[in-house]
Amino acid sequence: MSGEGRAESRRSASASRPRSGRLIFWLAPLALLPLPLFLNQYQQYVLNLILMYVPVGVGFNVVVGNLGQLAFSNVAFFGLGGYTAGILMAKLGLPWWATVLPAGIMGAVAGCAASVPALRGVRSFSLAIMTLAFGELMRWTYIRSEWLTGGSMGMAVPASDLFGWRLDLESHKFYVFLVLAVAVVIATDRLLRSRVGRAFIAIKDNEVAAAAMGVPTGRYYVLGLAWSGFVVGIGGSMYALLVGHLSPDSFNLIELILEFAIIMVGGLGSLAGSVVGAVVITATPEIFSNFPGFEELIFGLLIVLVILVLPRGLASLLARLHPVFRDRYYEGA
Amino acid sequence: MASLLELAEVTVRYGGLNAVDNVSLSVRPGEVCAVIGPNGAGKTTLFNVVTGNAQSTSGRILFRDEEIQRLSPHEIAARGVRRTFQLGALFGELTALENVLAGLHTEIESGLLGLLLGSRRARAAERAATAEARQLLELMEIGHLADRPARELSGGQQRMVEIVRAVASKPRLLLLDEPAVGLAPPMRAHLESVIRSLAKERQTGILVIEHAIELVMNISDRVIVLNYGAKIADAPPAEARANKAVLEAYLGHA
Repeated sequence: MSGEGRAESRRSASASRPRSGRLIFWLAPLALLPLPLFLNQYQQYVLNLILMYVPVGVGFNVVVGNLGQLAFSNVAFFGLGGYTAGILMAKLGLPWWATVLPAGIMGAVAGCAASVPALRGVRSFSLAIMTLAFGELMRWTYIRSEWLTGGSMGMAVPASDLFGWRLDLESHKFYVFLVLAVAVVIATDRLLRSRVGRAFIAIKDNEVAAAAMGVPTGRYYVLGLAWSGFVVGIGGSMYALLVGHLSPDSFNLIELILEFAIIMVGGLGSLAGSVVGAVVITATPEIFSNFPGFEELIFGLLIVLVILVLPRGLASLLARLHPVFRDRYYEGA
Repeated sequence: MASLLELAEVTVRYGGLNAVDNVSLSVRPGEVCAVIGPNGAGKTTLFNVVTGNAQSTSGRILFRDEEIQRLSPHEIAARGVRRTFQLGALFGELTALENVLAGLHTEIESGLLGLLLGSRRARAAERAATAEARQLLELMEIGHLADRPARELSGGQQRMVEIVRAVASKPRLLLLDEPAVGLAPPMRAHLESVIRSLAKERQTGILVIEHAIELVMNISDRVIVLNYGAKIADAPPAEARANKAVLEAYLGHA
């Protein structure tokens, strides 16, 4: 009897910890605020690159890790977001901030388009090939739409500001990117810790049983891919501002593999994993850039090692440190 | 409304084979009907055609006087039909608790925008559902399994969680496909009492496919016997047991 009572209190304690632990979503970004002061221009650029890859990884992971679909349309969402931002700025003279939402919306529309084969019952390797083709088709479209995108030569993205606050400085971009990355992580966290996130996993684990519980599986395919497209599209608009130049080659298969490495190394189906993956995959080549010729080797070895030793990614290490990093698909006690 | 579920001359044809052959039956609220028959008699196909997982070739299926034979599985589920699966179909990556919450999917009222903005209503709905799911697991005496991933549970434990998941949303019609497989005797007795109380207290209509004949005799108001897809008997348990055609189908002689 007393033993049961103890087990009871232990369980409720461990159940309540993640809730207070989620303060980390707000505290960690606050701790990052003074960071640009200690970094040089180049390091600030790398930091911004990491922040840009957070939404890109988060969106990709929702589809592959949570919804469990081999949909490789991520680079299409990314490119569409980037070109939407770039074209709106260069051709219509919009400031960058006004292009973030349209870039996300274009990504979401592409996400809906990418869900069509899945809705028609295409799964697994067939879906992988179809979505890869979608990415390549988009790249071909950027090359052929010279009047709009500058074709294979690419296009320059004009400098922008935020109500007079210069956005051509790396340190300024940092604060804007930090806000966007945090917003994407928190919104996605809320979505995943709800009946929506449970429905995604349910579809991955057993689609027939999910439908038998009243989950409209088709609608959740569209929702998962649209949300993915939305946040990855926002990542695209960040890319346009960060790099200042868009070319079709930036959205090729190598880029897709890099994005895939982010979620594999971070941990499939883990939100924390997407963030950690973005940090590790983006920062490692830069750290080892002092050893020219070896950076790719070290990078490749790191990926192989992590996947061998930690099949569920670096996030599984984090989950051991604190339960907040463990994925829970419910809210509260 | 006399009957909850009504099948009228339903046939499911796979190639040249009638997996379900011209079957008519009805289930009233609060009634427990066992579906028995030799392997390959069409029991699971009968379930599948009711839940929209198989398409009927002919015939009509009425649930609460509404034709459902052209609806998709999630639409039928949304009308208050839940089932378990013969081979077990838990969501392995989710915990037992999260599985039960998935069973409550249609009961949780939260819009997309509310979720994204973390609205108080959406959070309250989630929290209430979570508390309810925990309580349901406690009621079935498997509360201690709540936070374990479903794939780590034993076969019998998975069965019980799957049954909790199926009844969580208080369905009007419940279809259990061999629920007693892998259950130890005490758990089996517990299952019997759960089935009986669902029927009596909640007026749930229940169809059970089961080979364990004592369980069938203990819980069912009626026994429906299938053989080669056709219904060969539909009677109270004692009567069905004495039925000549049934004995023939089971034992090959009368």
